[in-house]
Amino acid sequence: MSDKPIIQVESLAKTFKGADKPAVDGVSLSIHKNEIFGLLGPNGAGKTTTISILCGLFSASNGTVMIDGKNLESNIDSIKQIIGVVPQDIALYPMLSARENLSFYGAMYGLSGKSLKDKIDLWLNNFGLTQSANKRLSTYSGGMKRRVNLIAGILHDPKILFMDEPTVGVDVQSRNVIIEHLKELNKAGTTIIYTSHHMEEAEHFCSRVAIIDYGKVIVEGSPKELISANTGCRNLEDVFLQLTKLTLRD
Amino acid sequence: MIKLFAAIKKEAHILLRDRVGLAVLFLMPMVLIFVMTLIQDSAFKSLNERGIPIIFVDEDKDSLGVSIEQGLRNSGMCAFNSTIEGKPATAEMIEKAVSDGKFLVGIVVPKGATEAIRNNVKILVQQTLGESDSPQKQTDSVEISIYIDPITKKSFLTSVTSSLREFISEIKTKIMFQTFSDQISQLMPNKSNAPKNAFSQSQIIKYKEIYASKQINEIVPNAVQHNVPAWAIFAMFFIVLPLAGSMVKEKSEGSVLRLQTIPTSYLIFLNGKIIVYILVCLIQLILMLSVGKVFLPMLGLPTLVIGNSVLGIILLSVSTAFAATGYGVMMGTIAKTEQQGAIMGSLSVLLLSAIGGVWVPTYVMPELMRNISVVSPLNWALNGFYELFLRGGGVADVAADSLKLICFYVFTMAVSLIVNRYKRKI
Repeated sequence: MSDKPIIQVESLAKTFKGADKPAVDGVSLSIHKNEIFGLLGPNGAGKTTTISILCGLFSASNGTVMIDGKNLESNIDSIKQIIGVVPQDIALYPMLSARENLSFYGAMYGLSGKSLKDKIDLWLNNFGLTQSANKRLSTYSGGMKRRVNLIAGILHDPKILFMDEPTVGVDVQSRNVIIEHLKELNKAGTTIIYTSHHMEEAEHFCSRVAIIDYGKVIVEGSPKELISANTGCRNLEDVFLQLTKLTLRD
Repeated sequence: MIKLFAAIKKEAHILLRDRVGLAVLFLMPMVLIFVMTLIQDSAFKSLNERGIPIIFVDEDKDSLGVSIEQGLRNSGMCAFNSTIEGKPATAEMIEKAVSDGKFLVGIVVPKGATEAIRNNVKILVQQTLGESDSPQKQTDSVEISIYIDPITKKSFLTSVTSSLREFISEIKTKIMFQTFSDQISQLMPNKSNAPKNAFSQSQIIKYKEIYASKQINEIVPNAVQHNVPAWAIFAMFFIVLPLAGSMVKEKSEGSVLRLQTIPTSYLIFLNGKIIVYILVCLIQLILMLSVGKVFLPMLGLPTLVIGNSVLGIILLSVSTAFAATGYGVMMGTIAKTEQQGAIMGSLSVLLLSAIGGVWVPTYVMPELMRNISVVSPLNWALNGFYELFLRGGGVADVAADSLKLICFYVFTMAVSLIVNRYKRKI
């Protein structure tokens, strides 16, 4: 892990039009190269908003974001070249096959010809989708769609990968395949920032996590550090519940 | 270029796999052309005052009856009939036939009508020449009965009565000439110098109908000449449904969101759509023109005449395709849900088409609606096609309408980009 943060977030805030409370309220984070950083929090805590700002989808109301040493706001186009995004929704065309979807998104990243085809073949094979590569996505199971959704975000070998709940709603088998390949990507040098509600998964997958609630970072550290720092907690889920309480969220 | 090509390929694949969408794009307008042309064919015949069924009873069996019959037969203003269900029509049958809707107009020339005219003219001539000392009693004026179906248009009725007046007047003049000639020849001692009735040989004023067209052949506005371009334009604008629908779907499915994280301009992505839908519009137009050229004549309808300017057709078609696609993109950008896109898109196109003269030609609209119609891009396109197909115009004649359509495209794209930018600022 490098000492220099690849992502530096300072006092990030976002209040949506017409909202009376900020969705993100003064979040500061330092994410280092090659980290697997987990943003955890209950529903509506501000995880997706934070990740969306970091991807350039929304502009922040306040604060600064530096990615790979560049200011996000003034270098959005060059930063988009080095990031990959795996949205929470299956952001793919159901009428197209997996191969057609990936060819399209690959081309949008400027990939073409044999190199694009080879990458598609490699990832389809890695994720066990070669057999069904030419079938329409609408015929896929939820887990298969999730895997294609992930491939579309990593096809261009991004330096930084943002993932918003990439394993939500998938079976154990699909989740394992996804997590294993993400670990390999990370070993190959990709910094991963991801959100999840799955505490056990985050505990084993992330090198560091930040728990967000009501738009603020309430704690940050490695899963082990957080477990040992909170008395009576045996795992990350205990820490999470202790810090965010049992109150139901909207 | 790779990105644009990929966007085009993606859009084409999606479109080709949407069978319902394809049916809406291609079959629906073809069916509309068939149905609307067949329905409006009789209305257009009526507009041209051709084919309106008239039943005629000649009880006179003399000059007036013969003259009116010949005049009506040769005028081409109506479908002339003298029999009802194979039986020679009588004055008694005619009122029922008209009230049953079998004929729009029934005309009865009564027995002795010509003789009555002849008698009256003779008395007038004699009085004029001072031959008669005691005033002779004129026969009662001739009464030609006209039975009218209440749905008959006033304009048609006016032209029928005008024609009848003209025939009667001609007969009266003819008889007057004949009577004068006879009377004068009786007064002249040398019969060989007696005046001849030259009326039948003369026609002082002739009418020639010339359609103000740049084409050599006369193209008469008919249901085909109106409906084929009109519904082709309607179909081109109706791509608003699949186009706006696909844009809203991409937004709701998250594809647009993912695209916003990719270092590719939204315009490239949009251009992929625009190019595909412009091609769709042009294919639609070719299909619709083929329907007019090949299939409608098979149903006994007139063949579509497309004029002589291929370049003019290309210019106007491409401009219309741009305008229609721009409109679809604008609707797709403004709409928040697929339902919203479908309702806004279809209703607005229906409204613009009604205003623009697709359903009913603007020349039969009241003045207020004619003035309003100029705001509809469908009207600009339709005017352009009228210019090419009916008036035999060329590129120069459709340049203004094409420019308006291109300006409309630029306007819709500007609105789309502004709205899109506004929506992203959340």
